[in-house]
This record gives sequence, structure tokens and C-alpha cells, in this order.
Amino acid sequence: MQRHSDEALVAYLDGELDADERRHVEAWLDADPAVQERLTALARSDDLVRGAFADIVDEPVPARLIAAARGLSETVPGAAQEAEILVLKRPGWAAFPPQHRRWQIGLAAAAGLFGVIFGGAGTYFGMGLLNPANPAAEHRLAAAAANNNWLDNAAGYYKLTVNAGDNMLIDVPASNDPREALQKISQSLPQQVRVPDLKAWGLNFRGARLVVVEGKPAAQLVYVTDNKAIGPLTLVIGASKQPDIQPTFDRRQDVNMLYWRHQDRAYALVGQTDIGYLWGIANDVAWQLDAI
Amino acid sequence: MSFGWKRGEAPAGAAERADPASVRFGDQLIAVLPRLRRFARGLAGAAADADDLVQAACERALARAHQFEEGTRFDSWMFRIVQTIWIDQLRAREVRKEDGDVAEERLGSDAAVRRVEARLALAEVRPAIQLLPPDQRSVLMLVTVEGLSYKEAAAVADVPVGTIMSRLARARVALQHHLDAGGGIRRSGNNAAAQ
Repeated sequence: MQRHSDEALVAYLDGELDADERRHVEAWLDADPAVQERLTALARSDDLVRGAFADIVDEPVPARLIAAARGLSETVPGAAQEAEILVLKRPGWAAFPPQHRRWQIGLAAAAGLFGVIFGGAGTYFGMGLLNPANPAAEHRLAAAAANNNWLDNAAGYYKLTVNAGDNMLIDVPASNDPREALQKISQSLPQQVRVPDLKAWGLNFRGARLVVVEGKPAAQLVYVTDNKAIGPLTLVIGASKQPDIQPTFDRRQDVNMLYWRHQDRAYALVGQTDIGYLWGIANDVAWQLDAI
Repeated sequence: MSFGWKRGEAPAGAAERADPASVRFGDQLIAVLPRLRRFARGLAGAAADADDLVQAACERALARAHQFEEGTRFDSWMFRIVQTIWIDQLRAREVRKEDGDVAEERLGSDAAVRRVEARLALAEVRPAIQLLPPDQRSVLMLVTVEGLSYKEAAAVADVPVGTIMSRLARARVALQHHLDAGGGIRRSGNNAAAQ
């Protein structure tokens, strides 16, 4: 009898009873204080169990697991660093010149131009530095160049913003109402921009900055958090005339990026968190903005 | 184009877009990794063992990607793979009679045994869960921690919903007893001593 009673109480707590069964349990609870105490104790132990495992999903996912998910398990033993690079490679990567060099120069250029943000400066970054060793690579580089330029910028802007720490410069700080910040920044943008609410990830909207994407003003939304495993993060949203592309990974040194284009907008989610988190957060952004 | 996922539960609806032949399958796998690690931690206890379990599950999932049924939950499919591998490991250990040694290593420590006064602290819940029988441990993680419905948990465990109900009730009552009676830690210490 006790076993069946426990089953009913547990199923009641889990919301797994139908209306009749629920009424039956509630009548039982009303009639017997001891049952109420038992229910309370069961609920408390549920909370303890959930609390005991809550933090695990915030831990960085080990590189070896990401490699395993990519089918690269054999590269893991003793080669974690290599595995991480392999995971983020794109086809044909080897034909590209060293990414970090162009990106460093792009970052320097971004730093130099910071404060003179409006205008067509975006196409400047990294230009003149592409020097492929063969014609085939040249063709591929040309196709990838525009994309790489703005990703260089997105990573550079991220580093500028994050390296400033608490002193980070925000063009339009978030007030109590993030919509106010975006209304202000949208006045300078080709399209209206909305701010995704990422509080579910522990990320708080700090404010917005105006940056340049493909030669046009764009919004860089800045999110901060106490959880070093996730943030800070930035989301760059700009106008684009290029074809839509699926969400794609890229990386500049220690900065991970997920970028995609959808209906004349380019998006880049940028951070130093694990790429698994980036996927989850990008999914949330896309869901909120209908942006995929 | 669409991720096809629901907010706050990125991997859950990923099945809608699953394309086992493409790199997207790996992307979905990566998105579900944090929850797989948590589930595996509840099953295996030690973090390194749990990650080994998740790694093995990833490898098996990629090898059997063609078996995933579109329109079903990707996370549930992965939970089932993790659980299957874990049960296989438990059986192998049982054959080698290593189970007791493993439990002692994970659960029994002098420092932990002395922390009786903090027996309801969160840190003590995980070891207490390790004292539950494997089938109860698994269903507790699936329903209470991962938020699966009884029906979904039944599909993962491949048992009827009624079995899920009874396992859950037994798990929660047993867990409460472990905590109320001084925690799983003290008891595990006694078990270790007895062995």
C-alpha cells in the first residue's frame, strides 16, 4: 500500500496524473497531514537532486568529446590541441594562408578605426594580404575573402570589447529597457534590430555598439555574465547582399564564431566559450529573431 | 533554413533537422553534449568515467546514425545510447567482480565520511544517488534532472510506463532514506569497510 502511495505522490509531483487521479491525491492530501509532509519531503529531495546536477551543464565540454562528436576520436589521445583545430577546420583550409596573421592585422586595423566607425571601412580589413601560392587557391580565396573579412572584423571587435573589461566602450548602454537601446542604435542601421533575451544562459545585455559589416553600419550586441565558461559574448547583426548560408563555425585564435546569413542579414555570434554552447545560444538567438 | 530546435532545449527538437549523412549530425551531437555529460555523471559518478561514457556514446551514435528515426527526439536517442553502454560496462564489471572496488573508490573517503553534519548538502546528493540500483539511478536522472516525461523515459529505458513509475518512487524514497539516515557517504563507507 505504501509503495502505491509513493508512486501516486511522485507522479503527482511530476505532473503525470490525469485529472481524476490528481483530484484523488489532492483529497488525500487535504485529509491527511502526514501525507502532506511526505509530499513536501519528496519535493525537497527532488530539488536537491536537480540542484546537485545543475552546474554540470555549465562546465566547458572537453575537447575530446567535441572531437568524438565530429568523428575524430582517434586524434584525441595526447593531441587535444590538434583535435580542437581539426574540429573547426573547413574544407580546403590548408590552401589558405595562415589565418591568424591576417586576423592580427585586421584587429590592428579595427583598433585604429575604432571611433570612426561609420562608413565603408569594413572592406578594408585584411585586403592586400591575400597572396595565394597557386591559381586554384586564389579562386577559392576570392570567394572566401569577403566572408573572412567580416569575420576578421567580428573577432576583432569582440577582442576590443572584451579586453576593455569593465571599461568597455558601449555606444548605447542597456537601460532598464533594452528596446530603448536598440531604438537608438537602429536609427543608424539599414534595418531594425531586436535584442535577443539570453538570460536563460545567464547572459545579461550590456549594451550595443555600432560596427561595420560589409561596408555598412551594423550592431554589435554585448552580453556579459559572471560565468566565465560562457561569456562574455557578442552578437553582430548587419545587412548583407550575399546569399543565405547555414550556420557555420569559424575561429580566429582563441575566439570561436558561429556565423550565418539569412534574408539579407548577416549574423555572427562571437565568444570564447565552447562551441557546444555557441550552438545552443545561436539556436536561441535564431528562435527569437526568426533569423535562420 | 532552420536549426529546428526549441528555445531553452536546444538539442531536444534537433531531430527535426537530423541528417545523419551530413556534418549537421555532429553539430547536433555537440549541442547535446552538456546534457549527456550531466546524465552520464549521474550514472557513472566520477567525471572522468562519465566523459569516457559520453565519448563512447558519440562514437556509437556516429556509427549508427542511420538508425536514428527522424521526427523522434535526438536527445532521447542519445540518452538511450549512453544508458546502454553504461549497462554493458556495469555487466562487464560485475563479471570481473570489480563493482565493489569502484564504489569504494568513488564514494568512500575519510574526509567525506566526517562531513555528517552537512548530510543534506548538495555535494552529498550525488554520492547518495550512486547507492541506488542502476535502473533507479537512470530513471531518476532522466525524469527529475533531464525533465523527460514518463513516456519518454520509458522509451529510453525500453520498459513500460508503469515500470518507470515504480522505479521512480522507489528511487526517491530510497534516496530520501539515504539522506535522512546520514547520507550515502557514511553508508558507503560502511559498505566499503564491510567488503
